Amino acid sequence: MTNDVIATDHPLTTSQQETLAALLDTLLPASDDGTMPSAQAVDLIGYLTEKNAEFIPVLVEAIGHFDDGFAGLSLSDRYPVVEAFSKAQAELFDELLFHTYDCYYQDDRVLEGIGMAAGPPFPTGNTIEAGDLSLLDPVMQTSRTYRKYDQ
Amino acid sequence: MAGASDNDPVDVLIIGAGASGAAVAWSLAETRMRIVCFEQGDWTNPSEYPSTRKDWESQQFGPYHINPNVRGLETDYPINNDESPINVVNFNGVGGGTILYAAHFPRLHPSDFRVKTLDGVADDWPINYERLEPYFSKNDRMMGVSGLAGDPMYPPKQPPLPPIPLGLVGETIARGYNKLGWHWWPSDSAIITRPYEGRDQCLNLGPCMSGCSQGAKSSVDITYWPEALRSGVEIRTRCRVREITLNRQGMADGVVYYDEEGTERHQKAEVVVMACNGVGTPRILLNSESAQFPDGLANRSGLVGKNLMFHPVGFVQGIFEERLDSHKGPAGCCILSKEFYETDRSRGFVRGYNMQITRGTGPLATALQGYTSGTIPWGPEHHEAFQKRFDHVASIGILCEDLPEEHNTVTLDPNLVDSDGIPAPKINYRLSENSEKMLAHGLARAEDVMEAAGATEISSSGVLEDAGWHLLGTARMGDDPKTSVVNSWGRSHDVKNLFIVDGSIFVTAGGLNPTSTIQALALYIADTMKKNLANLFD
Repeated sequence: MTNDVIATDHPLTTSQQETLAALLDTLLPASDDGTMPSAQAVDLIGYLTEKNAEFIPVLVEAIGHFDDGFAGLSLSDRYPVVEAFSKAQAELFDELLFHTYDCYYQDDRVLEGIGMAAGPPFPTGNTIEAGDLSLLDPVMQTSRTYRKYDQ
Repeated sequence: MAGASDNDPVDVLIIGAGASGAAVAWSLAETRMRIVCFEQGDWTNPSEYPSTRKDWESQQFGPYHINPNVRGLETDYPINNDESPINVVNFNGVGGGTILYAAHFPRLHPSDFRVKTLDGVADDWPINYERLEPYFSKNDRMMGVSGLAGDPMYPPKQPPLPPIPLGLVGETIARGYNKLGWHWWPSDSAIITRPYEGRDQCLNLGPCMSGCSQGAKSSVDITYWPEALRSGVEIRTRCRVREITLNRQGMADGVVYYDEEGTERHQKAEVVVMACNGVGTPRILLNSESAQFPDGLANRSGLVGKNLMFHPVGFVQGIFEERLDSHKGPAGCCILSKEFYETDRSRGFVRGYNMQITRGTGPLATALQGYTSGTIPWGPEHHEAFQKRFDHVASIGILCEDLPEEHNTVTLDPNLVDSDGIPAPKINYRLSENSEKMLAHGLARAEDVMEAAGATEISSSGVLEDAGWHLLGTARMGDDPKTSVVNSWGRSHDVKNLFIVDGSIFVTAGGLNPTSTIQALALYIADTMKKNLANLFD
């Protein structure tokens, strides 16, 4: 079997998957402290298949702009390659970035990493303080009033 | 021409099931007349709102986008905004704009009804704050409004529920206002902070502007409409009105509309009430041409579709070193300031603006805005830059009073049509010099507040493009038929059984969110109709 044969229902070849993983890891690498995962650790293809399948052929086109050696480069060597791609193919890059961010910032590990609760907002919700209404004292101590007029 | 088969005649036909249509339907229901409301959209299901989904943020870029041209649902109609720096935003469905609104719920001020007398600009309203006050209060109770009594910038009023939490955002910005000695107050918000009338209280989810899954935001599909339906009012969804028809006596006798299958039909009615907002209402009136009204129905004044007023909006964003938990709590409601609401000619403009403090965005919007502005890069620096901004932000919206100008119009587009072939509205709008000066002043003062509050980074933007929420003035009220479309209680000067109850009838716009005033007007008009039932058409 070669890397160009699709042997599963995965929409990308093995080679394309490797390029995509490197690309995603360049866009959003893991944080140094390990709190934030790399974007290659979130299931972009699964997300697109379920929510935005029409973008997958566009993604394949984007991957096609990177040669086979890209996946083997270090992060610091991949960065200028992606930067050049972002300028040469600005519209395509922006679309890729939107979907990457969209998928990334709904992953439970990511949400917890940035201090949010995992999952959708409802029904968990949030608790916030009522706040100190004595801050209004200076407002109430002024002679300010609404503008009046003769009836 | 009328369509396939006529329906049974109704006593009152209301067009539009949004904020004003719901209020007028509920109020008229006690008359036991046969009342039907036509709504071009559907009911929405709160359990399907974006906040129940992990992809809640990206839903706001698609099916829950505030701009109907982007949203593009079958129930939407296109709007030509090419000749306007501000795009019309709306929602078409039971609840109308209240489904997606932020629920900021201030009333117009007493002075807003007397701008000609006080400042020598535009016109006075034929009614005043005192006339509307009982309806403001009734509407606050019906909707479920949270707020704090005692604001010196208003006559006494008592919101039925305690204010929404200030949170760290509100406290931080409030301290900035206090340093400057400027007015601020907790916002009146149509969001319930305690269980109320069978609804549970706000959970501080955040994304109010894509529908409230909790049902704490007071959209009229869960406030007025359930009560109106129990009282016998009927809503027919997916009924899109094309035009109002007249009898030989020049009275409205019904409407031509398209049903869900796109079949043209005619509905007879004794009274027609328009509640389609400041764009939808002139669109239908202008499309209702006849030999008696060659320039559009009820348009002998020539003012239908003219004097369109938005509220030009700008935003100032501050980044703070300390975490403000910005994503928690109602996104659009926190505190407000009326420090610059009234005219001070030394500022170089007349009238004024509301300063509206809003909370932060979710993580996707934060990352995308950061990318666009160059403040949060992709790549190895992303996480650090993101963490410095996400949940560390507060914003101040500047909502400027827009004065009526006849060249700002809603007309019928000669080419663009909706899915039923009805001409789409075309907007021609220019920002006045007065509004430009006002907005610049507001942005500068909001930067002062951010600085006083301790922001480490401040940025301004405006006028915002997708901010045409408030659609006002296109069928103004007045006592003189030559200079107004409806009288002081919403009845057309030209067609005695045609009423308008939406934002079209505003004479001036004030400098704040209009839903509270729109609904108070609708209740007042309904009450006046009930008091005059015996001679309603005299």
